[in-house]
Amino acid sequence: MDTTGDIRPDWQAEFEAAARRPLAQRLRYAFVRTHKPVLDDARYRSFESMEDYRCWCEECLPDWLGYGRV
Amino acid sequence: MGAFEYRQAEEIRDVFARLGVRYLFIGKSGAIILGYPDTTQDADLFPERSPTNGRALVLGLRELGFELTDNEAAEVERGKDFIQLKNGPFDLDLIFAPDGIERFADAWNRRVMVEGFPVCHPDDIIASKVAANRAKDRESLDRLRSFRDYWLRTRRG
Repeated sequence: MDTTGDIRPDWQAEFEAAARRPLAQRLRYAFVRTHKPVLDDARYRSFESMEDYRCWCEECLPDWLGYGRV
Repeated sequence: MGAFEYRQAEEIRDVFARLGVRYLFIGKSGAIILGYPDTTQDADLFPERSPTNGRALVLGLRELGFELTDNEAAEVERGKDFIQLKNGPFDLDLIFAPDGIERFADAWNRRVMVEGFPVCHPDDIIASKVAANRAKDRESLDRLRSFRDYWLRTRRG
């Protein structure tokens, strides 16, 4: 597993601030609604394998959404 | 459709608990429940793949308001590797075989409970994102690893 290391001070401050918020408030801040082209244009999709899903993302989604593998 | 709300998370928790659905929050939504400050659009669930759990999961999803055709319900019950639901009150991804996690039972044994929400351990969330190797995850992995370190240092109990 990854080794632990020093935490950037700005991230540490963000983690501490989040820890002071109740869960309901954290979720209210965290979930946002934006339209993702193609991805959001079907009411249901299913894939037999994760590989099928990853390939579909690479072939069908705009690159800028970031779903393609590096 | 609006953004996923705490009330809806509670409904998932309460309906699935009543029906005995075995699942874990995974992905960024799971990390957020653990305290990771970030934004996301949908909730990701890692359900156990078994006939009994599949049947309970379909019942639960329908009770939550997801409109599943018989064919879609059969796919959920069978546990296809990845199912994306946008036919309900909020967006939900069902990931029966997340990259980087061998077996549901292993993740279940490592789960973290937060106010009744079963959540994958941060190490499993990170492992799945590393294995998925997506551009959008790579950008946030260092911060997520730092959060894991913070969480391990500060968690109680």
